[in-house]
This record gives sequence, C-alpha cells and structure tokens, in this order.
Amino acid sequence: MIWRDGHLVSEGPGGVYGERMLQGFRVWDPKRSKLAALYHLGTEMELRSDHRVLYLGAANGTTVSHVADYVEVVYAVEIAPRPMQDLLVIAGSRKNIIPILADAGRPETYLPLVEDVDLIYQDVASPRQVSILIGNLCFLKEKGLAVLMLKPRSIDVTRDPGDVFSEAEREIGAGGLSILDQVSMNPYYPDHRAFLCRKE
Amino acid sequence: MKSYWFGDVEGRACKPASGDPGLLAGRLAMLAGSGNACIPDWRIAVRCGAVRDRAEYLERLREAALILAERNLEQILLVDSSGLIQMVRMLDQLDEVINLLTERAVEWHRATRPGFSRKRTLPARSNLIALIREDADEALAGLLDEIDRLRDRRSLLMNQVSRRAEEILPNCSALAGGLVAARLVSEAGGIRELAALPASSIQVLGARTALFSHLATGTPPPKHGIVYQHGRVHNARRGTRGRVARTLSAKLAIAARIDYHRKSADREFLLKADEAVRKAGRRE
Repeated sequence: MIWRDGHLVSEGPGGVYGERMLQGFRVWDPKRSKLAALYHLGTEMELRSDHRVLYLGAANGTTVSHVADYVEVVYAVEIAPRPMQDLLVIAGSRKNIIPILADAGRPETYLPLVEDVDLIYQDVASPRQVSILIGNLCFLKEKGLAVLMLKPRSIDVTRDPGDVFSEAEREIGAGGLSILDQVSMNPYYPDHRAFLCRKE
Repeated sequence: MKSYWFGDVEGRACKPASGDPGLLAGRLAMLAGSGNACIPDWRIAVRCGAVRDRAEYLERLREAALILAERNLEQILLVDSSGLIQMVRMLDQLDEVINLLTERAVEWHRATRPGFSRKRTLPARSNLIALIREDADEALAGLLDEIDRLRDRRSLLMNQVSRRAEEILPNCSALAGGLVAARLVSEAGGIRELAALPASSIQVLGARTALFSHLATGTPPPKHGIVYQHGRVHNARRGTRGRVARTLSAKLAIAARIDYHRKSADREFLLKADEAVRKAGRRE
C-alpha cells in the first residue's frame, strides 16, 4: 500500500468524487471508506497489481475507484439503480472496473461475468450479510481472501453486537472460511467489525 | 457443451461468439437467465480464439458489462415509477412554495398599504395575487409576476403528472383519475409497493396522522386519505362517503395489481368497478 505523509493514497487519475490530491496521488480518506479505515487501523492484507477483486456492495464507486488503482481488475456488484448511475460514470473512465447491476444475494445472475478472484470485499448493509458472502465463495480461488465489513445494526438492531459477531464467526467457519483476523473499526466506524478470512 | 460469454466450448472444439459489445451484452443477459452458465476463464477464451490476450479479454468483457448494466438500468427506470414519484413530490413542493411566497407577499403588501385587508370580498374569478398586483410596490410587483409564473408551471406539471400516470397506471388512473393515482403511488413508494397493499391501507393512504391518532388514542378512524380527492368520494353525502371510499379503495387495490403485473387497461374490470363505486354512492 502507498503512504504519503501519513495518508493512505492510491495512484490514478483524480477528480472521481472530489478527493484531495497529495504529491500527485489520490488521498484515500478513512472517513469515507471503510477499507481505507481498515488500512489505517493496521492490516497485513495488501492489494497487489495482479489481484482480481470481487466487490460486493459497490455503491457510488468511491472505494471501488481506489481499489481499482491498486489491482488488475475489480468486478463491482451493486443492486441499487441510483448509485449505479454514478458507478457507471466511474467505470466508463477507468479500464479495470467491470460494473454489474445485480443482487449480491443471487450470484447466479452474474456468474457468467465474474472469473476466479483473489479477494472478495463485501460491504452490503443487509441482514443476510454473512450468507451473501458465503454464496459468493464460488468465485474465490483456493486460499483466496475475503473481507467482510460487518455491521451488527443492519443484521438485528435489537441484539447485542457481541452475539451477532459470535454468530457470524460460526457462520463464516461453517461456510468454509477460516478467520485470520478481526478488526474493530473504532473510531472511524463505531460498531463495525472487519473479518479477514481465507478460503480453505 | 459449456457456454461462456465469449463462446461455446464443446470438448476441444470451440465456437467464439460475435465480438460486438452490444451482442455480447445480450449474450451475457441470456446466459445469466439460463442458469447453466459457467464461471469464465480467460485462458479458455484465448484458446478459443475469441481474444488474443488477457488485456483484450478484460476490455471486451468491460465493454459488454457496461452496455448490459446500462440496459438493465434503463429497464428498471422505465418500469419503475420513481420518475412519477419525483413529479408528484415536485408538485406538492411547488404548492408549498407558492403558498409560502403568497403568504409573505400579502404580509409585505399589508405593511405598505394601511388600507389593505384580506377580509375584503374577492371579485369573482380573481385571486389574491391579482388583487395585490393592482397597487403593489414596484419591487413586490416583480415578485408577484414570478409567483404567477410558478402557478402556471404548477398547472402544467399537474397535467404532465396525470398524463404520465395514465401511461404507467392505466387502470388506477381510469378509476380514480391520473392525479389521485399518481399521489397514491407516491405515498406508497412505488407501483410494486402499492400493488402489495391491502384495500384498507389504500383507503387511508395519506391519512397517516388521523390513522395513528386513531390507533393511539381511539379517535374516530379516518374514512379516507388521498382517495378523498376523487370526485365520487368528496361529492358523496356524508352518510355514504365512507362506503364510497371503501369501495373505491377495494377496486383500486385490484387495479394497482393489474397495473403492476399486466400493465394494460382492462375494460371489463373497469366497467364493473365503476358500476360498483357508483352503486356505493346511491342512497338505499
């Protein structure tokens, strides 16, 4: 990962969403992107230039654009039409973003497009977050990594976040992943937790 | 045979698909719908002769995916009622703005003309704005013109809303008028949402405050919400108004489902429904 003066940056054409530029690099703001926050909190996972990434819950494509700066290709899945309009504009000006308007919970609808990937990044706010990730593991290479940004409030607001996390742990394990690390997203995103997993 | 977006592979033989991005997008959609597609591998595509190398593989795929996403998006926005909902909300917002501006203009006028009173009876077919306009300040007069223009815009938009509603909600519009149909969709949040509502909910759509005050404190339940704006309901006698609203809503619930699933007007249903509403308004 590229750091300049304590800022996480990425190398690419700027002006995607009004991001700040620093020494010719695009500043990747941890307050606007959970993945950037994860790097600020410290993780060993690197994005490499030969990586293929499946990004579930691409939204407006702000984080996607930074990921695309680092890796070979990003398959960006988003279901909502309005953010997709933004995502299409970004994908139009970059060579390595493949936009997919589909429900991440129904991988069969985009199965013909997506190849084997090295990393799945999942950040959809859905009560079925974990099972959506498990459903997409068919795209992940052996020993490939999966990052799950879990927001217990979108799974069940009435339950204790600790319970939700431990149930998610069980579900992840049962789905064929081993958890390498868990990172609490405080102070950037209170209540969120990132699960770094590997396909076994 | 294995089907990929770039071609069909049968054992060692392979038939590359057309290289045109538009056709490829269609092929992707077809494969996604068929349910027996395979996860693609770029090396197969090269062996197949569909592409030269990895770079070309990604470029082709990206072009096709972009077109596919755009097409799907268009499809969604077309059948989706979000455009209509935005129009209705703009209409309501315009009403609000016009009222606020008129209110303020009157206050302003009152401050400069001691003899002015709102209580004066208005001459037939004239409005407050026109009345003030007669002897307003120069500064105020300019603003009054703008308010007038906004009103013209508003009635234009109103016609556009009903026309659009008649297109995408033929049955509801025939039954309750385009404007009421559009308002119902806006309140429900979409055609799909409206079609999923029971008649009793449609009857009180737009009467949120009255409904919850009824549920919370037991005040009399609302007889009608948006459906009140339909002539048959608000022209009905007090005693039968509830029944007319109830019947109209029941028929609207069916109409919304026809609109959502079939998307075309059903004459036979409309005749029967109209008769039912008319009957509900008759005195025993």
